[in-house]
Amino acid sequence: MFRFPTRLLGAAVALGLAAANPAFAQQLELKLMAPAAPGGGWDQTARSMQQALVASGVARSVQVTNVPGAGGSVGIAQFVNGAKGDGNQMMVNGFVMVGALAMNKSPVTLEQVTPIARLTEEIQVIVVPANSPIKNAQDLAAAVKADIAKVTFAGGSAGGVDHVMAALFAGAVGADPKKINYIPFSGGGESLAAILGGKVTAGISGLSEYEGQIKSGKLRALGVTSEKRIAGSDIPTFREQGVDLVIANWRSVVAPPGITPEQRKTLSDAVEKMVKSDAWKEILKQKGWEDAYLGGDAFADFLKKEAVRVTDVLKSVGLVKS
Amino acid sequence: MIDTFAALAHGMAVAIQPMNLLYALIGVFLGTAVGVLPGIGPALTVALLLPVTYKLDPGGSLIMFAGIYYGGMYGGSTTAILINTPGESASMATALEGNKMAKAGRGGPALATSAIGSFVAGTIATIGLAFLAPWLVDVAVRFGPEDYFALMCVAFVTVSATFGDSPVRGLTSLFIGLTLGLVGIDKLTGQARLAFGVPELLDGVEVTTLAVGLFAVGEALYVASRRRHTEEKLEPVRGSLWMTKEDWKRSWKPWLRGTMFGFPIGALPAGGAEIPTFLSYSTEKRLTKHPEEFGKGAIEGVAGPEAANNASAAGTLVPLLTLGLPTSATAAMMLAGFQQYGLNPGPLLFAERPDLVWGLIASLFIANCMLLVLNLPLVGLWVRLLAVPQPWLYAGILVFATMGTIAAKPSAIELSMLAGFGVLGFLMRRFDFPIAPVVVGLILGPIAESQLRRALAISLGDPMTLAQSPISATLLAVALIALLAPFVLKGLGRFKANED
Amino acid sequence: MTSGDSTQSPRRVDPAGLVIAALLAGLAAVLVWDARGLQSVAMYGMGPEAMPIVVATGLALLAIGNFINALRGNLPARESADPVPVLLILVGLALLIAVIGFGGGFILATSALFVTTSAAFGRRAILVDSIIALVMSTLIYLVFDRLLTLSLPAGPLERLL
Repeated sequence: MFRFPTRLLGAAVALGLAAANPAFAQQLELKLMAPAAPGGGWDQTARSMQQALVASGVARSVQVTNVPGAGGSVGIAQFVNGAKGDGNQMMVNGFVMVGALAMNKSPVTLEQVTPIARLTEEIQVIVVPANSPIKNAQDLAAAVKADIAKVTFAGGSAGGVDHVMAALFAGAVGADPKKINYIPFSGGGESLAAILGGKVTAGISGLSEYEGQIKSGKLRALGVTSEKRIAGSDIPTFREQGVDLVIANWRSVVAPPGITPEQRKTLSDAVEKMVKSDAWKEILKQKGWEDAYLGGDAFADFLKKEAVRVTDVLKSVGLVKS
Repeated sequence: MIDTFAALAHGMAVAIQPMNLLYALIGVFLGTAVGVLPGIGPALTVALLLPVTYKLDPGGSLIMFAGIYYGGMYGGSTTAILINTPGESASMATALEGNKMAKAGRGGPALATSAIGSFVAGTIATIGLAFLAPWLVDVAVRFGPEDYFALMCVAFVTVSATFGDSPVRGLTSLFIGLTLGLVGIDKLTGQARLAFGVPELLDGVEVTTLAVGLFAVGEALYVASRRRHTEEKLEPVRGSLWMTKEDWKRSWKPWLRGTMFGFPIGALPAGGAEIPTFLSYSTEKRLTKHPEEFGKGAIEGVAGPEAANNASAAGTLVPLLTLGLPTSATAAMMLAGFQQYGLNPGPLLFAERPDLVWGLIASLFIANCMLLVLNLPLVGLWVRLLAVPQPWLYAGILVFATMGTIAAKPSAIELSMLAGFGVLGFLMRRFDFPIAPVVVGLILGPIAESQLRRALAISLGDPMTLAQSPISATLLAVALIALLAPFVLKGLGRFKANED
Repeated sequence: MTSGDSTQSPRRVDPAGLVIAALLAGLAAVLVWDARGLQSVAMYGMGPEAMPIVVATGLALLAIGNFINALRGNLPARESADPVPVLLILVGLALLIAVIGFGGGFILATSALFVTTSAAFGRRAILVDSIIALVMSTLIYLVFDRLLTLSLPAGPLERLL
């Protein structure tokens, strides 16, 4: 019974390797940790990296391991303690981990890892149902200022990027972020249903998640959080509408603590090469991810600034004790 | 309507090409092989096997995908019936009666009714998907948090069907489950409850870890402790290996009723597969003509929940295809599968790529048929597993049961929890507390809590929101009637008895 | 009320039932203690501490119910249990956890569990069982890890494959 699929799989694997392994392939054998369960954003990022690293010949093999738990808190603890000084390991992480570590009072922090590069980012959007009286960011701002409790925001998990964004919006329009009525839902599906059903005032999410609904006219986008208007899109930014709200859900890759500068350079070069490869560009297009490559010390700087900003917001909404 | 038929016929024509049939068969086989591992449900199965489908063209890949999905679901039921180890939370209800049947030498009919029931339910639900999807989805988005809470109340009331004969002991089990459900980060405020500073506990207790620990490990410990006194004698086949006429007669109605529960609830964005299986189990227990067999291996108790499980899986495709809403982990994986071909499910998908949508619906049909083709001949082989000498059988069960956890979450803490739940299961069996309500409490408790709290946050703390929504008011009334009816009927009975 | 019952009842007070009641009461206390550490940050509706209190109340009531049942001796009859096989299996599970925790790999870990469980069910042919276990777990490892790309923990044996 096992013979047939065995052969098929073997053939598939062989094919993949033959196609993916040009003669100039380096001898890099990487281990990549996705600190989340299979299927989520970090896992998809890790698996896409695996695909691109091997296909572009940057690495000979890449093994993805999943260590799910508490917004990455379990994964990073294992990574920092278990992979210390190992120049062949990397871990995917992102915006959500910053908040999760602060909220879970994790003993391990992002300062301990060696930053490699930011890879992608996703622009955030605020939407309302098509029949809502709220037409633009200013209307929403007015509603928030009038009675902040009555404006319900649906979004992802507590302390995640959507929640932080709701608090930033309230702050930017001059309301008290502490008083926002933010309702976390598990997964984009449930919150979208609540928005479409008119159960909440507005919804917050990554733009790509709601793009289909916006195009089909079921949802109205009030604004996006990019600095400049996205090319080819007619959704205005919040900045254009006089609300200073710029945020993105970024994903990045880091290396363990205690690696040598040479090891760090090897990994950084490998990632940079991967980012420039056609395979990676193809994946970005497929998944609808925005290329946001930022390497070296610039990324280390960015990471520090984001950590401060997110922790401040979480303190202001009372999720992290100050 | 005519368009729908034409589109479906075209989809069928695509799916029925020999190569695509082969992909469906391979998909079902691989899905079953991985899906039998306890703790690896259909979502993880699909995630793990997704890379295998990369090399195929979109049509073939989708079909293999559908096969993996169905295979993964059926694999969970197989272990539930044979070795009392539900592979995922949705096949827990199947384990209750199915394993009793297997131990009584009726594993063959149990596996058959679950395979055929899955097929029947899957087929009806897929037809429902093809014709009712646009209408159903409008109803589904009207369900707000207060309505989900009311639905949970109905589920809680019906759960008493799994209580056994003592309400105090049944409730004790349920509350242990509710306590376990509190462990981890509170979804609404991000604060840790009952985690005691252990990071692995922050994500809460995994349902499959609890179910596998209580059911499989607990059972192995219990049987081992009594080996001296009562040698358990397993007969793989007693009577017919296949379903008898009587079995068919007792199965078909539960299949249909299970489908009626599974499909609509599965289509709700937060409906899930567990609630319909519980509802189906308790309905069958109430309606059966053989109430004495429940708890000892009643075929209705396998047929109904299995049908409900499968129908709800087709139900989750309604919001996925029409709104692009992935409402379950499996649906999220399917979404990833779509995206890999540059497809974005959503309101525009039916209009933009009808060929692929109908191709997928057609391949669900085909995958469902393949499931039968592959699994019915295997029934005889599966039940022979029970003829393995007892020491090796239980050693094998334990290896298998722990393997799912090792593969999904290879941490010492998770494995210790598995062992701890095993001891709990052993003690509960020894002191005659029912097992199932613990798992039910773990599943339903957190959902009920977060939906209620969402509803109250939206209404700014006004509990009247529960009565103001017509859906919620109706469901709460149903729950109340179901709660009080037995007492009223009992009272009436007593009244009548006094008259006589 | 309970004392009257127990004198009438031919059955005696069940000590195990008392322990169960005490454990439930203890669990309720832990819940309340844990809930007190939560800050109610939810501005609207119910806070995170409401549900633990509800569950704790339920557990406390059930502790009383179980206590009464135990005093009345209302527990079902139990057969005597044999502790040795139970302990053997638990040792097997502990070995499994230890081997995986210390990086011994999947094959050794599951083999240990297989052999102890099989011994718990009365087999004494430990050598034969060990060989069966090693062969079986190696095959499982190969099929699931290599073929189906499930990542199972690797130890010294797995690296040889």
